Amino acid sequence: MKLLMIDTSSQSAGCAIVEDGKLLGENYTNVNLTHSQTILPMVAMLLEQTHVKQEEIGLFGVTVGPGSFTGLRIGMAAVKGMAHALGKKCVPVSTLEALAWNMCGYDCLVAPVLDARCSQVYTALFAWQGMQLQRLEEDRACSITELGQRLKNVKNPVFLVGDGAQLCYNILKEEIPGLRLPSPAQIYTRAASAALAAERAAAAAVDPAQLEPSYLRLPQAQRELLARQKMKMV
Amino acid sequence: MIHWTSHSVAETEKIAEGFAASLSAGDVIACRGGMGMGKTAFARGLARGLGLRDDVSSPTFALVHEYTDGRIPLYHFDMYRINNFEGLYSTGFFDYLEQGGVLLIEWSENIEGALPEGTITLEICRGADENTREIRIEGGRF
Ligand SMILES: Nc1ncnc2c1ncn2[C@@H]1O[C@H](COP(=O)(O)OP(=O)(O)OP(=O)(O)O)[C@@H](O)[C@H]1O
Ligand SMILES: [Mg+2]
Repeated sequence: MKLLMIDTSSQSAGCAIVEDGKLLGENYTNVNLTHSQTILPMVAMLLEQTHVKQEEIGLFGVTVGPGSFTGLRIGMAAVKGMAHALGKKCVPVSTLEALAWNMCGYDCLVAPVLDARCSQVYTALFAWQGMQLQRLEEDRACSITELGQRLKNVKNPVFLVGDGAQLCYNILKEEIPGLRLPSPAQIYTRAASAALAAERAAAAAVDPAQLEPSYLRLPQAQRELLARQKMKMV
Repeated sequence: MIHWTSHSVAETEKIAEGFAASLSAGDVIACRGGMGMGKTAFARGLARGLGLRDDVSSPTFALVHEYTDGRIPLYHFDMYRINNFEGLYSTGFFDYLEQGGVLLIEWSENIEGALPEGTITLEICRGADENTREIRIEGGRF
């Protein structure tokens, strides 16, 4: 069965079609955040390039967060619209889990990190071993400092992926010598990876109306988060 | 630092219109100054200077207005009612930072900790009389 995945959850945007573990095609861009203008033309182009008709799509997938507020709503709306029109189901995929799939095939630890701003990240921890992905930590929001403390005690190496990977790598690399960045081709969310994750989770497919974005709350006293740096600046 | 004295709404708009020439995509302008000082009037001039044809009004209720009909888009925020991170997140503020436009933020005092590096500060204070305003730009490359 053909699965069409859409990802607009963070800095990059993309779509991909997979069929029984085979990637038929993928479109990817990482320019300004104008996903609402780019994603549907990208899907149309992908269908054309792969000679796949809309009606051949048996299942949809979408990265449901955590991630960008606007981005999550764009992806959700696009997939809901298409799946509803075609009477198909949708597989919700955690953006962080989709990122972990960028490292499929490498036995390693993966810490996906999305920039939540104000020195905060959305993160989780996964281990790949022999084509099996094991989740070691739930999706959560924390400060980059806390992430550093958590990863210090983890056995090396740990690959950082996601739109916060470079940022966290720069801040933490001295403290945690086992930190690694993969190829730039694997750093950002890739619809192809997300699609493979969705295929594996196909049993969790829901009706489009039931899709909901997963926004993670930040643990810090929120008022402090907005005021904190003010004190530093004065 | 740049300083102007304005004697009318029209002059404030004119000043802002001229100032727009020194702005480029990605700039963030944080406004300070009390109620009714002329921040929205400044926004109107700025939009014109950026080559935008949209009508500019106070984003008090919508929290953000997008002006996109022209050269460089202007995203105009009013943070008066924003008092926590989730509130700010759900205005899409962090996404607008990446959209290649200019951001003008009224009541930026409320989101001080989330302003990016290089933020330009705009301060408007009452001058010698009711229709006079002291306008000051500093921070970032000013
Ligand atoms: N030189 C001046 N420049 C700008 N506005 C002036 C000036 N002199 C008087 N005003 C008056 O000040 C008011 C400015 O209104 P405006 O909505 O632009 O302010 P604001 O700072 O955006 O207010 P708010 O805090 O409600 O958002 C208007 O009523 C305007 O007529
Ligand atoms: Mg105003």
